[in-house]
Amino acid sequence: MLILISVIMLGALGFLFAGLLGLAADYFRVEEDPRIASVLAVLPGANCGACGMAGCRDYAEKVVLGQAAATACSACGAKGAAIISEIMGVGCGEVERKVAVVHCGAKGEQRKKKGNYSGVKTCMAVTLVDGGGLACTYGCLGYGDCLAICPFGAIEMREGLAFIDPEKCTGCGKCVSACPRKIISLRPYDFKVAIACSSRDSGAVVRKICPVGCIGCKLCVKQVADVFKVTDNLASIDYAKTGIACGPAVEKCPTKCIVTSD
Amino acid sequence: MKLFGIFFAAFLINNILLMRFLALCSFFGVSTNIGTSVGMCFSVIFVMTLSSAVSWAAYYFLLVPFHVEFLRTAVFILTISSLVQFLELYLKKMIPTLYRSMGIYLPLITTNCAILGAAFLAIDYQYNFLETMFYSIGVSSGFALAMILFAYIRDKMAIAPIPKWFQGYPIAFITAALMSLSFLGFSGMFGL
Repeated sequence: MLILISVIMLGALGFLFAGLLGLAADYFRVEEDPRIASVLAVLPGANCGACGMAGCRDYAEKVVLGQAAATACSACGAKGAAIISEIMGVGCGEVERKVAVVHCGAKGEQRKKKGNYSGVKTCMAVTLVDGGGLACTYGCLGYGDCLAICPFGAIEMREGLAFIDPEKCTGCGKCVSACPRKIISLRPYDFKVAIACSSRDSGAVVRKICPVGCIGCKLCVKQVADVFKVTDNLASIDYAKTGIACGPAVEKCPTKCIVTSD
Repeated sequence: MKLFGIFFAAFLINNILLMRFLALCSFFGVSTNIGTSVGMCFSVIFVMTLSSAVSWAAYYFLLVPFHVEFLRTAVFILTISSLVQFLELYLKKMIPTLYRSMGIYLPLITTNCAILGAAFLAIDYQYNFLETMFYSIGVSSGFALAMILFAYIRDKMAIAPIPKWFQGYPIAFITAALMSLSFLGFSGMFGL
């Protein structure tokens, strides 16, 4: 008798709950725009936040609602932006591909030290203690905060210097904000020249500290005046001036701090 | 006065995580991130209170009249899982923002042994409905206390110089054991 009651009770409860849940699933069904799923498929799914939204899912929902631009995702590239624009049925403007570059060129033995550091091994922690024993107060610290934050694995450390692979980089900008010395910036992918130095020290000081630092000699400005400019003893490139050959400046630079990526 | 005693005993003296050692899987899994831990704690408080109430009702109105108290394991599991599933569907439709912040933990804690444990213990202690409510809120608050404390400790441990073979779970278990030892100091307080 007891067995019968048990079986009936469990069976009845089971069926009751299953039925209720089935009804509830129908009643509480959330209709989702199928375009959200197709936009999500195009996005890389890294949830990097470069678009300014809380992850890829959030961006997909906002795009379909028309609250976000179809080109806001830099990580999916120009092709992805075109597909998303097509899904939304809007025209797509020109999306310029950008990649990040580290403005420091000192590797291995070139990184002169003025002391020893023993403490938490992150760039952010090291900046709090006056640069962690490196002679140059502007250069790459080499503890890899940028490497840790890159969602695409585009950064690697080469002999103590951060190096960003322009092919893997999607220009999301997370490393730009992660670097405590603010020496990472975005350059257009097609403009393959950058200044590998951020030191605003005068030429004489830089010569003592680093063999590959910019000494502000203005030889690059003499070669290609439109593109190069020297302010505060540091050369900089005007990336808006496309189509001008920078080769002569790269060759003439005495410390070889202007780098190209082929 | 007795109600406060029940709450306090469940909260601190017989802490579900550190004294009864229930719900440890989610404890160690979720406590790596402080934000996630806080969200999880809110979900646990909500679900545990609700499921204790429903389980108590199921026990005294369904099982006892038919003298099938031994079915309580199966019936409690059925009831609690269905309730949480229903809750998830309801939240997803009616309160999407709440669903996005705490709804993802609901499947995780459906089968959490602490939920079932609280229901069982409330029956074993023969509490009435009000006492069961205070008890389950006490248990879930105790869970929240231990979880948030542990999350902050683990956050500090991430940058501490821990020997290679202790990093990760080994040091986490040792820390939890030490926390448990310290909570042992509460036993016998107020004669509870």
